[in-house]
Amino acid sequence: MDITLRHSPAPEVRAALRDLAPVMVGLAPFALLIGVTGVRSGVGGGTGVLSSALLLGGSAQLTGLTMLAGGASPLALVAAVTLVNARFLLYAAALEPSFRHQPRWFRWVGPQFVVDPTYAMAARRDDLADPRRFRRYWLAAGVGLATVWVSLTVLGVVLAPVLPESAALDVAAPAMFLAVLVPQLRARPARAGASAAAVTAVVASPLPDGLGLLCGIAAGVLAATLADRSTS
Amino acid sequence: MIVLLAAAVATYALRTVLVTLVPAHRLPVTVRRGLGHLAPAALAALVATAVVGHRGVHVLLVPGPVLTALVALAAAALVAWRTRNPALPVLAAVAVAILTEAVT
Repeated sequence: MDITLRHSPAPEVRAALRDLAPVMVGLAPFALLIGVTGVRSGVGGGTGVLSSALLLGGSAQLTGLTMLAGGASPLALVAAVTLVNARFLLYAAALEPSFRHQPRWFRWVGPQFVVDPTYAMAARRDDLADPRRFRRYWLAAGVGLATVWVSLTVLGVVLAPVLPESAALDVAAPAMFLAVLVPQLRARPARAGASAAAVTAVVASPLPDGLGLLCGIAAGVLAATLADRSTS
Repeated sequence: MIVLLAAAVATYALRTVLVTLVPAHRLPVTVRRGLGHLAPAALAALVATAVVGHRGVHVLLVPGPVLTALVALAAAALVAWRTRNPALPVLAAVAVAILTEAVT
């Protein structure tokens, strides 16, 4: 085998890192915000970093850190984080066909990287039907995302004393989600689903523990399924 | 530390249960069909929740940080529609948010 071929990363790994790079540009301020919140809320920068390593999910981390700072009970905190992360159950279900013919170790390790950006990245690709290709892509994306996410949280902890209060940090993550969402809106069911999800999530936002988000997702899936039926 | 560990175990269970323990292909057809529409619904709900937080509809009508976020995200949506580049909308939103804050 040619030495350059032997030492060059698999195409799936390169594709994953290429897909991940712009996503991380969007997520960087969000990861910084986790570190900043850890320091400014008083729970400690180390706790913020630990939450990034263990949970790998920004909205649940912010929920958990805020509740820790507010002195919430452990049971309430675990319940709230579980509810906020309940969408991962749906993502995992949607991704399950890609995990079905994988080795046992991967079916236990791989799902740890199920999170909004990796799900969105994998869902957009139509060249990962081969189990080995999917495995390489998923591991590169997941490990890459986790590494950068934790590193940027550490950076947020370091920069917390000097970073100004600004809405710019808050808009980066939703802008990244929009960047993934907007190209999908050419299809009518997707438009119906996204509209219903957004309106419901806003109306239900006062509900506690991320329930508004879950209501929005459920309404969106229902609306898109109905629109799909009426189209076909 | 132990609380975070417990939350991590619960989150791992959410991520794993429909992959490893009860594979999703055993779910009813209607549910599986609905899962195909999950991405746009989840992304739109995440954007909406990120803008309003826990404050409900009325916060959209009050001038302030939410209005700044809406203007910034409108710019991001426009850039995403025109360019299909995943990084540019984020940069546009951050730039517009900084500009809006500077102006107001």
